[in-house]
Amino acid sequence: MLNKEVLLEVKNLVTDFKTEDEYVRAVNDVSFTLHKGETIGIVGESGSGKSVTALSIMQLIPNPPGRVSGGQILFHTKDHRTIDLTKISAKEMRSLRGNDIGMIFQEPMTSLNPVIKCGEQVMEAIMLHQKVNKRAARLRTLELFSQVQLPTPELILDRYPHQLSGGQKQRVMIAMAMSCNPAILIADEPTTALDVTVQKTILDVMLDLQRQNNMGIMFITHDLGVIAELADKVVVMYKGKIVEQGLVMDIFSNPKHPYTKSLLACRPPLDKRLKRLPVVSDFMKRDENGEIIEIPKSVTEAIGSVIITENERKEAHKALYSGDKILEIQNLKTWFPATKSFFGRTLTYTKAVDDVSFDVYEGETLGLVGESGCGKTTLGRTILKLADAHEGKIYFKKQEVLRLTEDEFRPLRRNMQIIFQDPYSSLNPRITIGNAIMEPMKFHNIGSSNNDRKEKVYDLLKKVGLEEKHFQRYPHEFSGGQRQRVCIARALAVNPQFLICDESVSALDVSVQAQVLNLLNDLKKEFKFTYIFISHDLSVVKFMSDRMVVMNKGKVEEIGNADDIYHNPQSDYTKNLINSIPKGRLEDITSSIEKKKSASLVNY
Amino acid sequence: MLKFIAKKVFYGIVVLLGVITTVFFLFNVLPGDPASIMLGQRANKEAVEAIHRDLGTNLPIMEQYALYLNDLFVVSFHDFKDTESHWYLNPQKYSWIPLFQVSESKVIVLKIPFLRRSYITKRPVSDIIIETLPETAVLAFTSIVIASIIGVFLGIVAAVKRNTFYDKLSLVLSVLGMAAPSFFVGLIIAWLFGYVLTEYTGLSPTGSLYDIDVWNGEVLELKNLILPSITLGIRPLAIVVQLMRSSLLDVMSQDYIRTAKAKGLSFYAIILKHALKNALNPVVTAISGWFAGLMAGAVFVEFIFSWKGIGYEVFEALTKNDLPVVMGATLIFATIFVFINILVDIAYGILDPRVRLK
Repeated sequence: MLNKEVLLEVKNLVTDFKTEDEYVRAVNDVSFTLHKGETIGIVGESGSGKSVTALSIMQLIPNPPGRVSGGQILFHTKDHRTIDLTKISAKEMRSLRGNDIGMIFQEPMTSLNPVIKCGEQVMEAIMLHQKVNKRAARLRTLELFSQVQLPTPELILDRYPHQLSGGQKQRVMIAMAMSCNPAILIADEPTTALDVTVQKTILDVMLDLQRQNNMGIMFITHDLGVIAELADKVVVMYKGKIVEQGLVMDIFSNPKHPYTKSLLACRPPLDKRLKRLPVVSDFMKRDENGEIIEIPKSVTEAIGSVIITENERKEAHKALYSGDKILEIQNLKTWFPATKSFFGRTLTYTKAVDDVSFDVYEGETLGLVGESGCGKTTLGRTILKLADAHEGKIYFKKQEVLRLTEDEFRPLRRNMQIIFQDPYSSLNPRITIGNAIMEPMKFHNIGSSNNDRKEKVYDLLKKVGLEEKHFQRYPHEFSGGQRQRVCIARALAVNPQFLICDESVSALDVSVQAQVLNLLNDLKKEFKFTYIFISHDLSVVKFMSDRMVVMNKGKVEEIGNADDIYHNPQSDYTKNLINSIPKGRLEDITSSIEKKKSASLVNY
Repeated sequence: MLKFIAKKVFYGIVVLLGVITTVFFLFNVLPGDPASIMLGQRANKEAVEAIHRDLGTNLPIMEQYALYLNDLFVVSFHDFKDTESHWYLNPQKYSWIPLFQVSESKVIVLKIPFLRRSYITKRPVSDIIIETLPETAVLAFTSIVIASIIGVFLGIVAAVKRNTFYDKLSLVLSVLGMAAPSFFVGLIIAWLFGYVLTEYTGLSPTGSLYDIDVWNGEVLELKNLILPSITLGIRPLAIVVQLMRSSLLDVMSQDYIRTAKAKGLSFYAIILKHALKNALNPVVTAISGWFAGLMAGAVFVEFIFSWKGIGYEVFEALTKNDLPVVMGATLIFATIFVFINILVDIAYGILDPRVRLK
């Protein structure tokens, strides 16, 4: 670092949340320092305390139940005063929030007020802190909107949030956080909900702004890959504590703590084929007291032990593609009415799936990848007759699915199951998970009695890595990863042969994602499933699938062997998709560090 | 927006048509012969038949239905020569502008809907409604305005002071307010403020919007409005308080409120600018639903306070089997419901820009 001016010092921060009878320590003795022009990446899984740390700095911890119960947060102002944010009054804190410290949140969809125009939401902060009139604030907002590269800033100024795309909303959020030239920008998973291509542009915008304003950025994420080319320093958090911190290069090239190693190893690699992804438990165990016991192993070792060779894969594919087709899709179109005449006649259609054809072989995993809105989810739903096809044919085991009535289709439905994206909303909160798994069994007359079914559920729970005692519990008692396991168990309850996984791991942290992906692969081996694996994340799709279909605007962009597509993409769309994936390679990190250095040399 | 409104109006007309049909057939199966109601003790065969002929009640039911619809529609079909026909364009019944002549004696006209005449007083039902409806409207409107202003305010306070003594108290009082029957509360209020405390309040237990004064004739008595409108407003008030409270608390936990806090806005700026507009939607629905409901539901309150509104009139008509009045009032209530619903949909569009798209 060329300039060592300190902006923020967090010293021994402790934040507690009160539950019914005790205080739970969400952040435990956390210390780090942020300098001017520096980016700190704070990495950890959900529940590791990274967001709570950020909210503690902003003094936005909801109180009760939360409280900052120890430590100091020292902020060095522009006029060289040092303020302890834990000690100042609410009024003083308000004058800092949005002015000296800006914050961007994870969910651009819900973080903007739906009934106030975008421009006004940004202008509000400017008018509040800089004491300027509406016209000046408007001009400044226009300037900000063009800085974050929003198209047609004048128009966006008067739009409501629901009229913008997710990426555009996040740009508005960034503009809002940047509106008063803050010294510090806290970004809490700002790109997690966005497509990789959008993520890349957003990250570029943030870096650009940082270079211009020389601000300090705290970037919170669950995915080490995202910050590889962005951060100067990395802080790894686990269960409320910092387990490792250091320069980005050191963390990536020589991780010390087993948890850091597992975070690096659990990302689906793009250049290799693995049997299974290394997970946290490969690197460490926890004893009864919650103390971490390290299993000595390096990241390279862990990955090296599970590589599939080119030949093994070729052999497997030979057997696979000489087999039968389980699903054939011919010229499938799913169109939704877009505009209707006064009396309800459809005038134009939104072509969600437009003339798509492909086959799926028995025992294959077919990946379906594309950006949000490309029609991949609708395609999956159409195959299961959850959305109505407009035209085309679908054969499942030589039976034409679209011509069957709902009654005739029911026995087939047992064979075709789907695992949805959101494990939080796809389970009924008032039904115990045991009953949730048992319900489809009853419906399809599987098992002779309730006791028989219960036995099966116990069996399934064990298969997906849960326990028998979980039968009587309700969804809210489980973490996201566990809930997704429940959803998988529910899909398996009716002994299907064919499963559609619709963004099944997208809502999960990378570390949990690796466990669920491994589970899906283990189950596939055991039960000989055929998967259609839908995701916006090309690295995950590539890891899972034999062949992959790239979709764009309802049409198939490219189809073929997953490795071939990755190494030799034919269309520009696929190339862009692959280039946007943060890969976390050491050479990329080195080059980005070099780039930053030369940029700061120009500035000073 | 225009298309949106046109659509709502179209659906509204369909709903009204349904109501008219239901009301017509429902009241036709009810017992009660208009002739004996009108004639009372003087009924004899000739007189009864004459009345049937006059009202058309001896016709087949479908023809009666067609006649009824023809009477209600703005554009209608009539015979202007044959005075004996039920389709006769009787100047005593209708006031019209002729549109075009269909044949020698048939004509299509534009007219004010004809709601028939009361069996008892022989007055046109529309006159009765025009006379009494404003009184009820004033009463219901005052109650709902009182309920919404006070209710929104108290609801906000309850949400802001959540889990304090005030919040708990407001919950208890709201439950009481919702549970207490209006005829009971009405009696208590009339007795307490109009009789026991009348020296201090200067109010009387009963009275209408207009009183007949010996010297000045009809005079406006606004103070008579106070007690019945409070009585009528208690239940919507209780509901608005609780709805406003829960809706605001719900909104305050949303992500965009956290964003507003991160901007450095003060607590009250957040409530007033960011939370309130979002929180008002369910409240607006409730208020408008209640307003339409109050118009129809003011019967007891009007009865207790002798308020000469449409509820009072319907009550009288029901006891005397005066079907045209009951039917006319029912139709008016339905029309008001539909009309207010259209207004609410438009208000939604203004409050929440997301609705406009759909």
